[in-house]
Amino acid sequence: MTSSNIDFVYQNQIFKIKNPDSNEILLNYIRTKLKKIGSKNGCSEGGCGACTVVLGELKNNEINYKAINSCITFLPTLQGKQLILVEDLISKEGSLHPVQKAMVNYHGSQCGICTPGFVMSLFSMFKRNSKFKDNEIKDSIAGNLCRCTGYQPIIKAAKSLKNKNKFDHFSKNKKSTINLLKKINNKSIVIYNEGKKYFAPRYILELKKILKKNTNSELLSGGTDLSLIVTKERKDINSIIYMNSISELSYIKNNKKYIDIGASTPLIELESYIQKYYPDFTKILKRYGSPQIRNVATVAGNIATASPIGDCLPLLLALNAKVVLQGLKKTKILFLDDFFISYRKTKLKKGQFIHSIRIPLFRNNTFKAYKVSKRFDDDISSVCAAFNLEIVKNKVQSVRIAYGGMAAVAKRAIYCEKLLLNSLVTDEIIHKAKKALEKDFQPISDMRASKLYRIEVAKNLLEKFFAEIKQKKLIGIYA
Amino acid sequence: MLKIKEESLISEKRPHESGEKHVSGRAYYTDDIPEQPGTLFGAIGWSKKANAIIKKINLDKVVKSEGVISVITAKDIPGRNDVGPVYDGDPIFTTKPEYFGAPLFAVAATTTELARKAVLKAKISYKSLKPIISIKDALKKKSYVLKEKIIKKGEALEAIKNSVNRLKGHFTTGSQEHFALEGHVAFVIPQEDKDFKVFSSTQHPSETQQIISKMLNQKSNTITVETRRIGGGFGGKETQSFIFAAICTLLAKKTKRPVKLRMDRDDDIIITGKRHDFYSEYEVGFDELGVIKGLKLKLASRCGISPDLSGAINDRALLHIDNAYYLENVLIENYLCKTNTASNTAFRGFGGNQGMMAIENIIDHIASSLKKDSAEIRRRNFYQKKKKNITHYNMKIEDNIIQEIFDQLIKTSSYKSRQLDIKKFNSENRYLKKGIAITPVKFGISFTTWHLNQAGALVHIYCNDGSVHVNTGAIEMGQGTYTKIAQLAANELGLPFSKVKVSATRTDKVPNTSASAASSTTDLNGAATINAISKIKKNLASFVKRKYKVKDGEAIYENGLVKFKGKSFKFNSLIKEAYLNRVSLSSSGFYATPKINFDKKKFTGRPFLYFCYGAAVTEVIIDTLTGENKILRTDILHDAGKAINPAIEMGQIEGGFVQGAGWLTMEEVNWKSNGEISTHSPSTYKIPAVSDMPEKFNAEIFKKGKNIENVINKSKTTGEPPLMNAMSVFFAIKNAIASTVNYNINPKLDAPATPEKILMSIKNLKNKI
Repeated sequence: MTSSNIDFVYQNQIFKIKNPDSNEILLNYIRTKLKKIGSKNGCSEGGCGACTVVLGELKNNEINYKAINSCITFLPTLQGKQLILVEDLISKEGSLHPVQKAMVNYHGSQCGICTPGFVMSLFSMFKRNSKFKDNEIKDSIAGNLCRCTGYQPIIKAAKSLKNKNKFDHFSKNKKSTINLLKKINNKSIVIYNEGKKYFAPRYILELKKILKKNTNSELLSGGTDLSLIVTKERKDINSIIYMNSISELSYIKNNKKYIDIGASTPLIELESYIQKYYPDFTKILKRYGSPQIRNVATVAGNIATASPIGDCLPLLLALNAKVVLQGLKKTKILFLDDFFISYRKTKLKKGQFIHSIRIPLFRNNTFKAYKVSKRFDDDISSVCAAFNLEIVKNKVQSVRIAYGGMAAVAKRAIYCEKLLLNSLVTDEIIHKAKKALEKDFQPISDMRASKLYRIEVAKNLLEKFFAEIKQKKLIGIYA
Repeated sequence: MLKIKEESLISEKRPHESGEKHVSGRAYYTDDIPEQPGTLFGAIGWSKKANAIIKKINLDKVVKSEGVISVITAKDIPGRNDVGPVYDGDPIFTTKPEYFGAPLFAVAATTTELARKAVLKAKISYKSLKPIISIKDALKKKSYVLKEKIIKKGEALEAIKNSVNRLKGHFTTGSQEHFALEGHVAFVIPQEDKDFKVFSSTQHPSETQQIISKMLNQKSNTITVETRRIGGGFGGKETQSFIFAAICTLLAKKTKRPVKLRMDRDDDIIITGKRHDFYSEYEVGFDELGVIKGLKLKLASRCGISPDLSGAINDRALLHIDNAYYLENVLIENYLCKTNTASNTAFRGFGGNQGMMAIENIIDHIASSLKKDSAEIRRRNFYQKKKKNITHYNMKIEDNIIQEIFDQLIKTSSYKSRQLDIKKFNSENRYLKKGIAITPVKFGISFTTWHLNQAGALVHIYCNDGSVHVNTGAIEMGQGTYTKIAQLAANELGLPFSKVKVSATRTDKVPNTSASAASSTTDLNGAATINAISKIKKNLASFVKRKYKVKDGEAIYENGLVKFKGKSFKFNSLIKEAYLNRVSLSSSGFYATPKINFDKKKFTGRPFLYFCYGAAVTEVIIDTLTGENKILRTDILHDAGKAINPAIEMGQIEGGFVQGAGWLTMEEVNWKSNGEISTHSPSTYKIPAVSDMPEKFNAEIFKKGKNIENVINKSKTTGEPPLMNAMSVFFAIKNAIASTVNYNINPKLDAPATPEKILMSIKNLKNKI
């Protein structure tokens, strides 16, 4: 079934939007059409969290409450989901939600403009975890900026929720919400609105048909990058194909040789799955962006945008990942090494889409990754480095090293690798390997870091990698 | 004259008056005010060159762009084309842009999105001139916004020459973007006649009114400015909001329709000024104990294109160059550099913190050269109570408690034993190093511009239920001033908090107000409120005395009762009765700060009514391989006098600290050499996020605190001063860096201490060995 109308659940009713403008931003819709002013516009780029709302998504007959940045979300992607705003947390009788009460009682608001966003991030954590730890509190609000409080009262408010009864009016209405979500969860979307096209297919087969006729479409996943064309460059996107309604593309599995990740799997799911194979991958993913970003962003999106930094990319390169591309007829499997061409350019052709990513499982290797940025939470790396080495009896048997932030694309350190391969690990060889990085990279200076700093850090991360192996412990201020 | 009774002092923790509205999205900010049908939306087109003459500007495509109703330029301004608060120099629209981001024109369109799209369609050709961007460039070219200043006390050069020890150096503190989570926004509704109702996110409604009236060549009484609350100010909306309110009004005038102008975050940061970065060169002479004998200092700041508030900001830097230290002989040259960057402006601390960082850096340098604990050197230089208590501007310090605070904190924070633990940790770890530092704060309270130290209030008591309505010039920007003023009013009248409402600040209720700034908002407006209440009380007393023949003596207002000698009333019934007997239940109030008197030219006198004190101990860890750093623990002891609302003061103390830590560590404003700012969004400009607060954070209010001056509730403000407790972060980082060379060399480190600066500082040290 296809439709040009968007259905979503709001205040426990089905809301219908007929033929929406595909470029309309959810926050704009909330504030100007729904006339709800609780969600605030702080940046229009998903960088401050003032616009945070929660989406309820049906998963295994449960509702998954995801905090998202409504300022970078395209309205039609609301299809089939439940929208929860800060105003909706108040009960019918008018009493505040436990999360809201805690924020008042612990003085969690000062000027109050960021507060709705914090409330929604904490609400999403409150609804998802039965017992959350202190570090989960910090992670849950890592994408919400507050310029007044210094965060301490907000943390205290969150901690006070630990032993609170989690039954609220959302729990009470859960069954009926689930039924409503099921009712609207079964259609593909095709919208033509004033020359702008929007497709949200539900099957790969459908996707291919659409791609064939609409080769110039932008593929939309989490949209955390793409949406900025509209919100920041102030341009229209005339044809959008939304990938994340295709359930065939949302999966993670492994066949003992590699982990296989469907293109539209959100990073937040990969982050918990991959922990037992590559704990450092999880560590970096947690700092990839805020929960609002990781809830919707995908590895495929990260690869397709081919950012020079793209925190996943050096890790995937070091792990020798492959990317599975599907065209209308053929499937192509490329090493990620061969996928990037230059700054933000890849080998993805028109009519093709990323189907999945395969990350090999190296059982005998040491895999470590580091991210250095000005700020711990939600910042773009100055330098990101990933090391994947097999060292037997102090001898390097295999080596893959990749860096982000050091060139126009995320890139392997070929000279450095060559030097290390088959060498014994000694101070001298480490020194030489560090030196080799100067040959591998000629980074640029920008507002994040100077080239001098970048090269220095790149070298020092290599030293850190070997020091950690030698000392058999993590060395770092966040370790 | 403000009367304060000891027995009526309060200290009541209470949530922010808007707390419940904040958390449920029901608090209205300017952008949330319901729009009338026909409302238009604005956007601003700005210069892409930092210093240029516009050869040609073609707006045809802008005019024709979808949804555009009107386009305005300088030609549409009937009156003054400038929003400069004290001096001219901040044109609303210019044809000779002096910075990247200078507004050139604006549009009104049917939606914000269409307006923003339209302004990109302008065709502009520039004749580029060479811009001056850095302080050093400006100094070299003698490019200043105001005349330089020289401050002299004693014989500094002589004293330095005669000192046993001498040091020289230079030091920089960085700029800082305010990044209030609510950006600039205004909403203007045309009224009958040619009047305008202006809603503006501003710290200064009265000056907004004046600037608009000058722009339109209209009387002030035709412009009403209203502000219920703002989503953060921090100084960024003291003057920088004017241009947006002005342009919005101009659009409303031209289109005769309501217009809203909400700035896109990037445009907001690009167009507006920030904190002044400061560069200092120093020469100091001191004795074998580290006591400063003479100080010669050159202090230069980046002011941007115009004076704005730079004069007062630099003055405050000069007035805080002593921080908590007695300086016998000083010679300071102060340069206010004109650069082709947005005009720098007020930011929490207002130059004071920049001055304080300069002296703290010098003290740290002295300690390092003597191989002594910097805490000891700080202590030895402190102002004292009976002697060594005259500042370099000849004010006698009468409320000095820095020694008590400092010593108490050293104990409660276990500063000394932790110092030993840290040294041990550092000797056992090759790559990770810890550092610790304690820094004091002494911050002067009052506007240094004398006439600004005044406030008005308007209080009504309604006859049918005795509810109280308060209006003042105070702007609620998160600091809780509405809550505290309502607490004071409720306390004065012996009523529960719920019976008092503080309403939106409006220029037609209380006129001629000062900016909510200089930490003095509640001090001034709270006192004016009490003054208004005392006038109503007087009316009530004379009525009761007349009718009931009670004896003289003041009535006691408590628990909803009004007790005269021998006769007691329920508050509500008294109010009703008074009304029926034709007694006025409404009054304005006024307050002017006593005692202050400062000669700016001679730089001498008493600029401040009182001082706030505080101290902080911070422990950090740094990674010497990457320069990454983290605050492990911070202990703060801060003086809030007799705090009206300790919960709200604590919010200021903790929040101010983290904001200050951001200024001194990760927040870095970056300009390209052509003057284009490259940090204009949360993706490129990083303010502290949740992981940046100290892992352990123990902030406390100094329990023995009490303002010795006649200030409401004997309290002390907490607005700006807590920010400076963050100085401890910077010097803890420096301490950690010094450990890499066994504390033998003084590290060169400028603020902000970004990972890059830290790593480079370590590298430079190692090259020195």
